[in-house]
Amino acid sequence: MNLKEIRNNIDRIDQQLPILLRQRMEYALQAEKHKDDAQDLAREESVFEKVTAKSSSLLDKSFLSDLYKLILAESKKLQARHLKLVGFQGEHGAWSEIAIHAFGSEMAPIPCLEFRDVFACVANHDLEFGVVPVENSIEGSVTEVNDLLVEADLKIVAEAVIPIHHNLLALPGTNHQEIRSVYSHPQALGQCRAFLSRNKLEPRPFYNTAGAARWLAHERQRSAGVIASRLAAEFYELDIIKENIEDHPENATRFVLLSTQPRTGTSPANKCTIAFSTQHRAGALSDVVRIFAENKVNLTRIESRPIRTNPGTFAFLLDFQGKPDDPAVVRALENAKKAAMMFKNLGFYPEATL
Amino acid sequence: MGWPLQRPVFRFSPGVHAGTIAVIASPVSPTSSTQNPRKVLAMTNLKLVALENRERTIIQVGNVRFGAGFVIIGGPCSVESEEQMIETAIAVKSAGADMLRGGAFKPRTSPYAFQGLGLQGLKILAKAREATGLPFATEVLDTRDVSWVAEFADMIQIGARNMQNYSLLKEIGKLRKPILLKRGMYSTLEEWLNCAEYIMSEGNPNVVLCERGIRSFETYTRNTLDLSAVPAVKEMSHLPVITDPTHGTGKVGLIAPMSLASVAAGSDGLIIEVHRKPAEALSDKDQALTPPQFSGLVQKVRALAKFMEGIR
Repeated sequence: MNLKEIRNNIDRIDQQLPILLRQRMEYALQAEKHKDDAQDLAREESVFEKVTAKSSSLLDKSFLSDLYKLILAESKKLQARHLKLVGFQGEHGAWSEIAIHAFGSEMAPIPCLEFRDVFACVANHDLEFGVVPVENSIEGSVTEVNDLLVEADLKIVAEAVIPIHHNLLALPGTNHQEIRSVYSHPQALGQCRAFLSRNKLEPRPFYNTAGAARWLAHERQRSAGVIASRLAAEFYELDIIKENIEDHPENATRFVLLSTQPRTGTSPANKCTIAFSTQHRAGALSDVVRIFAENKVNLTRIESRPIRTNPGTFAFLLDFQGKPDDPAVVRALENAKKAAMMFKNLGFYPEATL
Repeated sequence: MGWPLQRPVFRFSPGVHAGTIAVIASPVSPTSSTQNPRKVLAMTNLKLVALENRERTIIQVGNVRFGAGFVIIGGPCSVESEEQMIETAIAVKSAGADMLRGGAFKPRTSPYAFQGLGLQGLKILAKAREATGLPFATEVLDTRDVSWVAEFADMIQIGARNMQNYSLLKEIGKLRKPILLKRGMYSTLEEWLNCAEYIMSEGNPNVVLCERGIRSFETYTRNTLDLSAVPAVKEMSHLPVITDPTHGTGKVGLIAPMSLASVAAGSDGLIIEVHRKPAEALSDKDQALTPPQFSGLVQKVRALAKFMEGIR
């Protein structure tokens, strides 16, 4: 190994260490929700014991113990801040994580593998909130999230519309001519469909945009590119081959903040989401929709999803503008509930604009 | 590889029309107003390029319109660094240029000479566009780079050495990006116009021609700027044509006089190499203007263009 190769290896480890440390802090924050007191001496004792047992001629016992004193002190400091834990699908640098910042400060983004894990962690009170994408201005509905919104018993407490500017990323030093296939979340691949086709790049679905960036940084494939955020490029030390590769500059995604509790915020709510199903007969959907028209309630979105447990039947998600104390809105909701088979009010929240 | 050797065939009957093409029509009258356009020499098989009763085409690149007013493009031969490109771009803009140039992929006589920054150069040009608001033209050499250059550039240049690279012409013909087609240094006007026909026949109607000098026995100048090509092309084609006095002469002292001569000859614009410190340039250092030289030239050219407008 020459000096350059040795330094590359050191850089690779330095890239991994903060990722592991952050993961450790995230688990520490989650652990806090399960115990009464941040101080647990027996547990700390066992942590020190396990770590110092790994000492060697290069890793002195006192060095390891000093290092862990620092780490544990930092996790306790973090725990004392009582940050709100917010689940998002994917890995650090994902668009959902970027969206979390739109919902407030003092929040700790916690990565979850799948959308259903975000819903489950919130429902089980492992996390206070969850942030999920509902729809995109180019690619349309995020179908899995819409299905989960119908199925789950969670409330929407806020929404945010986030501009999405995708980047084509590759390993540093990659020649653009070598890139053959591009890995990303199907939503991101869809939002960049024309770009991929123009440049004859094969789309390869991956579970998450930032996850694909992390995978590339680890697997180091020269012929692969990734579509992800600038944040992901910085975090996983990838080169930006081309920025703003989305098929239209007005690419934006609507994210919602989920909770088990109804909204407690002070800003006035002027939008609502409901989920319902109707009988399978002519005009059943129209009957429900007409109730809103008759009460002069403006609908902003209607989404139909097949009910997966009963193919051939459909559930509808409907967003409308209206305040919870507006008599016309109250009347429309009461009548819609009567007309529908299944009916769920997912909650009122302040409408977001770009 | 041999160069096409067939002689130009001239005939007086109008050529065959291949249907209408997507060009922006302008009410500008042909330059040779005394001649009946129908009687203008028509070349065979220039179905889309020939003038033939068509109105002159205006080609829009950002806010710049080739064929309507006089367009001045300025910038370095090569993008060498972000600092060099942006500093030059700002100077070129304040001198009054309409558009930027800069090479990211460079065709160099020697394989050991600076080959350009490649994709990195394209990113820097995009930053220079952001800094100045001016669109940019840059050259593409390789069919494999065409889609990538098109992702960044406002106008794609086909250099003199690649004028008859037919696979490259077909590839850029599939785009809708405006093309700046330079005349090959050994090419007849008919060969040049046939190359424009290649691009247009693939579906891209946005071609601007550029006279950049041809090889002659003269060695004092780098090339011989063939200014008669400008009015000649205007007799034969509806496409805009600009001039490159930098490569056309290769001598700093001749650039300004030949620029003025271009205006008088009816050229639709100029493309000129400008470098913040020509002596330090990685390519074409003997023919780049300094920003003050360029600024002085732009003023004279604008004044003459205005005068020419008045006597047309």
